[in-house]
Amino acid sequence: MQRSLRNWWLPVLGWLCLAGCNSSNTSPGVTAAGERRIIILTNGNSPYWDACRTGLQRAEKELKLKEAGLSAILENSQATPQGQLDRLRQFASQTDIAAIGISALDASNVSIANELRELAKKGVKIVTIDSDVDRDKMRDARFAFIGTDNLTGGRELGKCAAGLRPEGGEYVTFVGRTGAQNAIERISGFGEGAGPKFKQADCMPDDTDRTRARENVRNAIKNHPELKVLVGIWSYNAPAIIDVVKELNKRDAFTIVAFDAEFLTIKGMEDGQLDAMVVQNPFRMGYDGVKLMKALVEDDQKTIHALLPNHGQPDGDIYDTGLKVVVPDSGSKLKADMFQKNTQFMKLSEFNKWLADHGLKES
Amino acid sequence: MSSTKPPPSSHAASLPQAPGGLRRPFGGVLHALNRPEWGLVVAIIVVAAITGLVDRQHIYFKDPRASAIDIMRQTAMLGIFSLGAAIVIISGGIDLSCGSVIAFSGTICATLMVLLAPEEMRSGAPLGGWVLFLSMAGTLVVGLLIGSFHAWLITIVGLPPFVATLATLVGLRSFGRAIIETVTVTVYKTPSTQIQLNDVFFLDMTKSVPNRVMLFLILAGLAWLLLSRTVPGRHLYALGGNENAARLSGIRTDRLKWLAYCISAVLSCVAGILYIGDQSVADPQTLGQGYELNAIAASVVGGCSLQGGVGTIPGAVLGALFLRTIIDGVSKMIKTGADVYEGLIVGAVVVVAVAFMQMRGAGRRGKRFFSGGLGIVTILNLAILSGVLTAIFAEKMALNSVRLGISAGAVVLVGLTLVRLMEFQRARRNAQAGFTKEKD
Repeated sequence: MQRSLRNWWLPVLGWLCLAGCNSSNTSPGVTAAGERRIIILTNGNSPYWDACRTGLQRAEKELKLKEAGLSAILENSQATPQGQLDRLRQFASQTDIAAIGISALDASNVSIANELRELAKKGVKIVTIDSDVDRDKMRDARFAFIGTDNLTGGRELGKCAAGLRPEGGEYVTFVGRTGAQNAIERISGFGEGAGPKFKQADCMPDDTDRTRARENVRNAIKNHPELKVLVGIWSYNAPAIIDVVKELNKRDAFTIVAFDAEFLTIKGMEDGQLDAMVVQNPFRMGYDGVKLMKALVEDDQKTIHALLPNHGQPDGDIYDTGLKVVVPDSGSKLKADMFQKNTQFMKLSEFNKWLADHGLKES
Repeated sequence: MSSTKPPPSSHAASLPQAPGGLRRPFGGVLHALNRPEWGLVVAIIVVAAITGLVDRQHIYFKDPRASAIDIMRQTAMLGIFSLGAAIVIISGGIDLSCGSVIAFSGTICATLMVLLAPEEMRSGAPLGGWVLFLSMAGTLVVGLLIGSFHAWLITIVGLPPFVATLATLVGLRSFGRAIIETVTVTVYKTPSTQIQLNDVFFLDMTKSVPNRVMLFLILAGLAWLLLSRTVPGRHLYALGGNENAARLSGIRTDRLKWLAYCISAVLSCVAGILYIGDQSVADPQTLGQGYELNAIAASVVGGCSLQGGVGTIPGAVLGALFLRTIIDGVSKMIKTGADVYEGLIVGAVVVVAVAFMQMRGAGRRGKRFFSGGLGIVTILNLAILSGVLTAIFAEKMALNSVRLGISAGAVVLVGLTLVRLMEFQRARRNAQAGFTKEKD
């Protein structure tokens, strides 16, 4: 008996490898028989996507997807191009996928674009959400993009830094992966928005390891004595910056600006530890993403036209979900007229009210 | 693990004895000074000194206290779960699950807090001592259960330790995620992939570097006492050295395996609790990814043999300190874009450190490292590697990268060729001496 049990280990190993390969994280929820799925495939795991999921669930309920024989699901892929590719290949082998909204982790990845094209050939409707594919070379791989222009977001964050510190100075950007498209665009946009008085001292990636994210902030502060601005590019970078600056008791020495509003980031701003944040609207990405994909599946031209009135014209396939610049309730030098017209300028209390109205804790 | 290995041995186990079993005078002192851990101490001092000199701000010299705190902050965390990994390795096993157990235990701790005090967790109000105590105690109990599960898979089901702990490496992270989503939906009606932590007392307690270091030293002290001053500790060495011999000697090897895997899992749980406090969030998907390899690396650098039966707790402690000193040193020496070179430098230093320790013993016995065709290929390999690395660093320092790269490659090529020739001469001499002795 013992010997036969010992012989189990090979099949078990095989099973584990398969389980490991398939260990992407599916959101809870089982589709009923006969239902076709609308899927939003993320580029990793973050509270940012929780807000998107809330929008997706609201859309599923309000747009009566069940009555249309559809369901909406948010799936997290591993934060690597391979993880996303594996997930798309799994979808390709399934027959109940009606539409996919993907947040492209690597905009110029040819394999991902080809996989999207293959899915489209099979009748699956494809849109990009939050992060687009390369618009020069791979635009045909999706019907439309729903989200925020990260380059514009970066510029708005850069303007925040310039408004708060007109004399300029050295800055360091903190990010999960420097190669990710949204990171490239945000960092590049930040440089443009901040202007020539600001000089990038370093860009420090952490591979989504939050401990390393904190370590990076400590090292940046030690390594660059002229450092004046700390810039959080991915959502968890802001809490890391806030934490370390507080720990070192150096709040007065730095201007801190960041992307996205994680719970701890919001709390940090309430405590006076953050000067400005640029916030996207993942809730709306989830809601309008599902709305557009449902319309595509049902060939509902009226809804498609309402969302994308200029589709077919240059950049008519881009649906902008908007940006918010959030500043503390008092004492900020930033004013609404410093930013683009379609960027919402909000005080923190207004933003918190907006979150509460949408049933969100973060965005 | 293996029945062909020599009898159990360890640096801690082998007492300095004169022929006939009598102890040499001052033998204990000499033995202590001859321990391989001193090599690590020297290596740590050398790395710190090089960092202090090469770093253009000389941070290590100007602000040694802050630098020490920076290094110790992460050393304590790595060290805590490396202790468990070292004990498992000494007992002849391997634990690949540290990273996932850290993620899972963090999840369990935060989940217990949500279940025990949902409103306080939502509003950010203080949780209260009993909630924190029960959450942490519950997490440690879960650690015991995980360790027991590993022991059951290995001793009863008969899975190799590699496969048994691979199962939890793969499964626990997903399990943690499922738990968090289910609990947040049940308690807050909104699914979330993470649980945020706000309790000021808990965060301050876990973020405090002195607390972490003290906890690490206490745990290291207890582990050292267990391995070097207790019967089960000596039996763990015996188990790692030769499992069959240990079993035939009457040692209850299954219980020892249970002990080793439980210690490892519980220490990973301690680290998990500290990590969620450090990060103020429990995120099973990203927490502790790849940390199992860091723990194994710290243990191996610290002198543990993956074949079992060899290694010490001071070695594992110094191994963790050595790794963190290098990582911190790289970030201080390369001010911009350090991440590009960090893996390369840490990997190279780890290989050199472990190879040096292996070669130290082997070299004395006249082993040839560059003999035959494989030796020639290795010499070429190392020469090319040195040349490319030198060129990369020369380019970064705005020097003539091509010339310096070729020069460095040539120096290594000539140097190692000379080593090969010397090895060949020595082998020939030894062969001749053996032949003459045989003839006589």
